[in-house]
Amino acid sequence: MPSQPPLPPLLTPYLSDLPESSLTVISSVLGATSNWLVLRYLHASLSNTANSNTSPENNGSIGRTSRKVVLVSFMRSWDFWKTEAKRLGLDLARLRDKRQFVFVDGLSELFTPSASAFSTVPVGSANHATLPLRNRPTPVPGRGPPAAGSLDRSAQDRRVQGDASNSVRLHFRGRGTAALDAIEKDIISELHRQRASSDENEELLLIIDQLDLLLAATGPGLGIGATEMADWVMGLQQHAHATVLTIAADSPLIHNAATNVHGDCTPIETEHAALALGLAHRARTVMQLRMLETGAARDVSGVLRISRGGGWNAEAKHSLDEKELLYYIQRDGGLRVFGRGES
Amino acid sequence: MAPSNLSHRRTHNLLLISKLLSLRDTASPFTLLQDSLEQPAAPLVKEYIRRAKLSKVHVTFISYETLKRPDGVDAFISTRRKTPTEIIREASSAYHQGTGTEPVRRRLIIIDSINPLLNSKTLDPGFHLPSFLGSFIAPSASSNGRAEASLVVTYHQDIPSQSQRDHYSPPPLSMLTYLATSIITLHSFSHILARKAARDRSFVPPVFGLEEVQDGVLLSRLDKLAGTGTAEGVVLELEHRRKSGRGVLEWYLLPPASRYSPHHVKEVVTLLDDNVLYNPPKEAETSGGNDEPQSTFELGLTDRQRRDREGVVLPYFDAQQGDGPGEGGRILYDMGEEDDFDEEEDEI
Amino acid sequence: MSFRKRNVGLSTGADRSAAVSSQSAPIESSPGIRPSPDDGRPTTSTGAPSLDNLLAGHAGLPMGKTILIEENGTTDFAGALLRYYAAEGVVQEQKIHVVGVPEQWGRSLPGLIGTAESLEEKRSDRRKDEKMKIAWRYERLGEFGAGVAGSRDPPSQITAAGGESEAKPAFCHAFDLTKRLTHAGISNMSFIPLVPSKDSPFAAILKELQGALLSSPANTIHRIVMPTLLNPTLYPPSASQPEHVLQFFHSLKALMSAYPTRVTAMITIPLSLFPRSSGLIRWIELLCDGIIELCPFPHSADTVATSGAATSVEEPPQGMLKTHKLPVLHERGGGSDQNVGQDWAFTLSRRRFEIKPFSLPPAEGDTEAQDAATPGGMPKKSDLEF
Repeated sequence: MPSQPPLPPLLTPYLSDLPESSLTVISSVLGATSNWLVLRYLHASLSNTANSNTSPENNGSIGRTSRKVVLVSFMRSWDFWKTEAKRLGLDLARLRDKRQFVFVDGLSELFTPSASAFSTVPVGSANHATLPLRNRPTPVPGRGPPAAGSLDRSAQDRRVQGDASNSVRLHFRGRGTAALDAIEKDIISELHRQRASSDENEELLLIIDQLDLLLAATGPGLGIGATEMADWVMGLQQHAHATVLTIAADSPLIHNAATNVHGDCTPIETEHAALALGLAHRARTVMQLRMLETGAARDVSGVLRISRGGGWNAEAKHSLDEKELLYYIQRDGGLRVFGRGES
Repeated sequence: MAPSNLSHRRTHNLLLISKLLSLRDTASPFTLLQDSLEQPAAPLVKEYIRRAKLSKVHVTFISYETLKRPDGVDAFISTRRKTPTEIIREASSAYHQGTGTEPVRRRLIIIDSINPLLNSKTLDPGFHLPSFLGSFIAPSASSNGRAEASLVVTYHQDIPSQSQRDHYSPPPLSMLTYLATSIITLHSFSHILARKAARDRSFVPPVFGLEEVQDGVLLSRLDKLAGTGTAEGVVLELEHRRKSGRGVLEWYLLPPASRYSPHHVKEVVTLLDDNVLYNPPKEAETSGGNDEPQSTFELGLTDRQRRDREGVVLPYFDAQQGDGPGEGGRILYDMGEEDDFDEEEDEI
Repeated sequence: MSFRKRNVGLSTGADRSAAVSSQSAPIESSPGIRPSPDDGRPTTSTGAPSLDNLLAGHAGLPMGKTILIEENGTTDFAGALLRYYAAEGVVQEQKIHVVGVPEQWGRSLPGLIGTAESLEEKRSDRRKDEKMKIAWRYERLGEFGAGVAGSRDPPSQITAAGGESEAKPAFCHAFDLTKRLTHAGISNMSFIPLVPSKDSPFAAILKELQGALLSSPANTIHRIVMPTLLNPTLYPPSASQPEHVLQFFHSLKALMSAYPTRVTAMITIPLSLFPRSSGLIRWIELLCDGIIELCPFPHSADTVATSGAATSVEEPPQGMLKTHKLPVLHERGGGSDQNVGQDWAFTLSRRRFEIKPFSLPPAEGDTEAQDAATPGGMPKKSDLEF
């Protein structure tokens, strides 16, 4: 089958050229996760300066400003993003060295007290791994990297894994807004560092992956509610050109509270619904991912509905069509996006 | 509805909405805008600001969810990490700075979303919503003269409210609707049309967005909703309490801002009933019997037959008229000899 | 093109090497670990071959992933799966950590009766005639419905499996639920008790797990087993507070990603206490990598005679099985698996936990017609006319 472009043309207008101080909310459900879309945002913002596979002149649209990205991930590790981005031809490790991209780790030590030895172990195991790895026959002949290349790669990997521990790790300590403030400070200092190292026309994109986890795993019991989280987002937004958030919109998390007038639902549901809907009210665009209503299909992964959020500014010159599209993630990571009834 | 009635309504209610939106005569000191993701209040708030600019009203924007200062706003107050008292103080000082030596200006205070305040976890337990809102409208003691202030507050209906801290005090939404002198509920015009189209065919009216209760669907506004064409605009459902205490209920249509210039002075809002899409003009009665189904049976009635049919008096007919002996269907009972009438107990 | 399964995808060089290089691991050396046929990442067996086959073409549970088994009703099929999982770990000499239950649990593990292949050999001998010979590379991708274990190793190993199992250690074993496992490794299992504490009851568990992973040599593989999570007879009431249980799951995820090649976890949870429609369970699901829901049929023992067993040889299904999320696949976006969207039925017998595509049994009371029809093949035309 023909290989797909990393960014399907149907999606490109939504992924790039996010207007200033705009908020984009990506909502996902259990069976239709948002990682692939986040990766597309990364690609749309970083590829023209970084993509080594395609020549810069045919890829970079003329006159487009280059961007810097800060990715804060609460649910997935650096390894995951790095591996998956590589499938799109995006080398996040190299981009990070060039300070084009910063990863903020909200997974590793958010709630667990820092185990000092955490950082040493991956390096050790990486060392360990190089031996069998090198002896391994190259799995696919032809397109696989030559032996020397793989050696280089593993060496590079080791270095990267070493500095994976250098990436900022967020910690949640204590309770209430004070705990949130500490996290906010860590992220803002990264944003500032990125800002400082960039020139005027570089736009800084902030992506926060599943910030709703922070609310779910703390909740009113620790003095944190939807209002505090929304405030927290507002604080971060002020330091970035544009912001992209992902949030879960599963029915139990939204509809239990939003359509139940009797108030007969748990705080986690109420707070989550209040946060998700409140953010949708602020968003310029809401990208809603869900599964097919008619059940699973073999060549459709899910449905993407693009809607204008409550923060949509009708007079802005950036026009935006509302749309509903089907998408399909292939095994090799390729993406196909098409309208209903098309293929 | 009789045409004279409609034109009467048109004159009165259009005057009313124009007075409300332009903040004339302090017709409504506290307006509550109830919106949802399906129809956010942003266009209406924008319209308020536009009209305020035209009539040189001082606009204070208290932001709970807006990042950037909207155009045309005199004072923009961010509420991040501020207590209600700090917000009140800032709002009043912003006005005094803004107006300075000028003659007394009317002022408009907009709160872009009241929900975060109501759901806040860090709020002081002694917080009292009515006095918080009241302090914006009430003329402060130090103010030079009487500045008329109007408060416009947006409440997102779809955001669930927390369970009550105090189970015996009224929930915040009831409190807001009780305090408000006018309540404007916003609807998407295309949704209204879709619902009406379904109702006209006796179908179940469609639901949108959250009401679909579908996994992963937060909002469903799509540009082209099937069957409604290009229906743009915002439907306003106004409930206004006059000073006399009487209530007014009316549905209006606010056209999209692109349809008129920002300096347009005349009223742009129309009655929903006057809209061609919502209330298509009746087909002229010319069709008559012409397009009745053709068949070998005579299905129509002659004039005489129709007259006769209308002349038939149905059994319950005079019971419905209040003036006949039946008097609205009451049962009358004539006292007989055998009845032992007791003055104190029985009443007819 | 015809030579490959369409939706298996050609793992290109870049793709595969990317996956492998990140999974820097002592994979080749450890028993019970093999690379996934899908993208080469290391996987380990769940102890139930048909569950292995369900896991999105990886033919095993990828390392560093958590699988959550949810069960409706009062039955304990999930417990059986969990015991298979633990027993497989014992046999593979992996380090097992059992959370929250007393040590008796370890003594109830099912007895080893050989490798999964040897069991399948016996079974498939019976139907050898009807089985078509297909290339081994497809076979190991996992074929459903055919009743053939997709987890099978290449033929070269199958022939060797009987005698020289030392040459290539088996990936998955067969167990007998009526027997008890006797293996030196059992004493090596560690049981982490729930200690009452003022704050999170999970904090001590995490500390213990972290310590165990940290102190063990880098080639030890760990399995974390958590039977009936949040079961009120085991866990204190405060455990189901979101700030406790969700923080635990998040930290567990962090632990898994810190040791992406050395640890897997299987957790069961009773849905009758914590329904899937609640926000808390949905968050737990979001934090796990694989979600399997078991919906046992009510009173399946009574209806053996009439339920949908096609032949008397096959046992009737005991319940429905739903896959809500599969490791790796859904993290990438989901949807492209051939097994997704199928209705599955499971059957637990003495020797195996089998998962088959579910088909509705013939309507009850129609058994006579069914019986009459089968011997004569299609009913004659004259029977149908009236």
